Amino acid sequence: MNTIETFKYDNRIVRAFAWATVFWGLVGMSVGLLAACQLFWPALNLNLPFTTFGRIRPLHTNAVIFAFVGNGMFTGIYYSVQRLLKTRMYSDALSWFNFWGWNLIIVAAALTLPLGLTTSKEYAELEWPIDIAIAVVWIAFTVNLLGTILRRRERHMYVAIWFYIATAVTVALLHVVNSLALPAGWFKSYSVFSGVQDALVQWWYGHNAVAFFLTTPYLGLMYYFLPKAAERPVFSYRLSIIHFWALIFIYIWAGPHHLLYTALPDWVQSLGMVFSIMLVAPSWGGMLNGLLTLRGAWDKVRQDPVLKFLVVAVTAYGMATLEGPTLAIKSVNALSHYTDWTIAHVHTGALGWNGFLTFGMLYWLFPRLYRTSLWSTRLANYHFWIGLLGMMFYVVPMYVSGVTAGLMWKQFTSDGFLQYGNFLETTLRLLPMYQLRAVGGTLYVAGIILMIVNLYKTARQGQFEPETEAQAPALSPAHAPVTPRWSHRWLEGVPVTFTVLATLAVLVGGLVEIVPMLLVSSNVPKIAGVRPYTPLELLGRDIYIREGCVGCHSQMVRPFRSETERYGEYSKSGEFVFDHPFLWGSKRTGPDLHRVGGKYPDAWHYNHMNDPESTSPGSIMPRHSWLLTQKLDLSSLPARIRTLRRLGVPYPPGAEDTAVREARAQAEQIVANLKTGSVEAEPDREIIALIAYLQRLGRDIKQPGSVPATTATLSGPGSSQP
Amino acid sequence: MLKDAVEHVGGIGLYGMVSLLLFFGVFVGVLVWALRLEKGRLDAAARLPLESDSTQPGKEDCHERDA
Repeated sequence: MNTIETFKYDNRIVRAFAWATVFWGLVGMSVGLLAACQLFWPALNLNLPFTTFGRIRPLHTNAVIFAFVGNGMFTGIYYSVQRLLKTRMYSDALSWFNFWGWNLIIVAAALTLPLGLTTSKEYAELEWPIDIAIAVVWIAFTVNLLGTILRRRERHMYVAIWFYIATAVTVALLHVVNSLALPAGWFKSYSVFSGVQDALVQWWYGHNAVAFFLTTPYLGLMYYFLPKAAERPVFSYRLSIIHFWALIFIYIWAGPHHLLYTALPDWVQSLGMVFSIMLVAPSWGGMLNGLLTLRGAWDKVRQDPVLKFLVVAVTAYGMATLEGPTLAIKSVNALSHYTDWTIAHVHTGALGWNGFLTFGMLYWLFPRLYRTSLWSTRLANYHFWIGLLGMMFYVVPMYVSGVTAGLMWKQFTSDGFLQYGNFLETTLRLLPMYQLRAVGGTLYVAGIILMIVNLYKTARQGQFEPETEAQAPALSPAHAPVTPRWSHRWLEGVPVTFTVLATLAVLVGGLVEIVPMLLVSSNVPKIAGVRPYTPLELLGRDIYIREGCVGCHSQMVRPFRSETERYGEYSKSGEFVFDHPFLWGSKRTGPDLHRVGGKYPDAWHYNHMNDPESTSPGSIMPRHSWLLTQKLDLSSLPARIRTLRRLGVPYPPGAEDTAVREARAQAEQIVANLKTGSVEAEPDREIIALIAYLQRLGRDIKQPGSVPATTATLSGPGSSQP
Repeated sequence: MLKDAVEHVGGIGLYGMVSLLLFFGVFVGVLVWALRLEKGRLDAAARLPLESDSTQPGKEDCHERDA
């Protein structure tokens, strides 16, 4: 018989993460609301670089994903892990290192992103010093989690813990691989991958950031807090086992569905599509397991705001995980990609699944942390309805907007011309939807404010319990599990083996897809005319990255007649071999820019950047007038050239020494061109480099001697295009 | 016909077959595993979150009851 041990759960760390969740939730979503308003009211960009859409859009996504959901995840994990394993966290020091480290990283993100220090890779925008900090903090969290598991007093690891383990291991893997870059300065780096390979690695990461940052940890929270709130066990524990293994095994394969009809080789696209469709099964297994947990308890849902939030969260999970595979079908994606449909989809997940699950958890947690009851159930109910209404006002207009844009882009007249040849016409049609979306966002943020009042009042009226005393028998190693080897119960008793198997399940998909892409050179046919960027163009490209232009402009003409008519020759994988990082983009609020080189005179770009309305009346693109006055930083050119050469870009020996001279010469040429367009400009301004880059885009294959690779890169979609 | 479809959809070649078999194997393995588990133990595991561990909130200090 083991002795009964008395120990204390650490509530302080839970409280710290919980308040951080509330704070960053308000910040992240308010920034999102500002960005949403800028899309129909461009003056809200304030004509300042730091508040312009291209820079605050990544601030919004990072704040919501890593600050709000990240802190929410840690809140729930630190609360539930201790109780499920009947032990205090392995190390208080690691817990607090996790808290301060993570939140300082977020502060660093909030400072660097508006400053334009970005890699431009979606949800991985932070520059290399912060990336290293993320890896260190994440390892601290993982050690703390695994340490806690190893000294637990409960033999069985509950299903929530499995999801936490998969999260810890996979996020580390994804983050490290996708962030591989060579620094060219303290806050400038170039991805070690280029073009197609960079795109594949990025969306292997981006897709699985959704899977293993926004989904698996929250599924763990669902499996803990939903039974807690409903006061009944999960519907089927068997189903949860199948849910877990099938989900983590399949999820990792599906990344390429973000790149359908792009220059990515067809076999990878098809593989991504097939696995995306299969993903419906485990996702819905999990959703049904959640909803059926409430069997016989639906009367509680009427009264308890916590359950209301959780039910909507799980339902939103179900909707998003059915919609995701639908969007991954190539023919649907042909219409939906680059439109607001994607925005609607991700917000069903973010506002519904992550948001509502977090709110439900916080409303459940605060009365327990502060040993009191919720200050106002009525106010929580108001929050629920306002939040739900906000979500509807967000998502529905975005669907309308997405389908409208997709159809307008593809519409031909009976004579065979594009009906809406001017891209701006299609954007302007969407503005009422953008306004409605802002109404939805305002409602959602208003709900959060109600929650903050309620949680604050709850905390004020109660008495915080820093530690909760508990008792449990020690888990003696002498009492080895008696169950036969290879039963699941045995596996759960062996956390290290479990972790290794979970990692293997996650690795398989990545290996099958990514390794051939990196090793088999025939996947990216070479095109003779494709040359590295000139020094001035390179600086211009880095300004394009800094200003977040990729947030609204793709550089990937898909092989559809509607796109080749509008933009020109479709994009080939061989055209991007020197692009560190790739800039294909995922949204077209403005037109694609891959073939913009040579389309307009230099002076057009100059005037357009200064005031987009001067060249495109009604344009919602923000002014970028600081580019006309800010001086170009030529001093960093040699370091940039050297770094890129190390990554395989064939700059000849000594190119770094002549780079500044070459850049000046090209700038003088552009100034002369501008003069013919009645524009007087200084050669040492940033706008000159940006014009050089824009005018270079997509022109290499038009050079004499270039052989467009039409066969190997894209086998067949041209014949079946919508 | 199935082989033909799997191998020739979008030119994925052997990858389609390998990944389908791999997935199918893992899925069936997990399914068999899960079905063979003993019900009593599963029920005990499922009840883990419900074990009493923290202070339950009182009703007496609810704001709306005060009002």
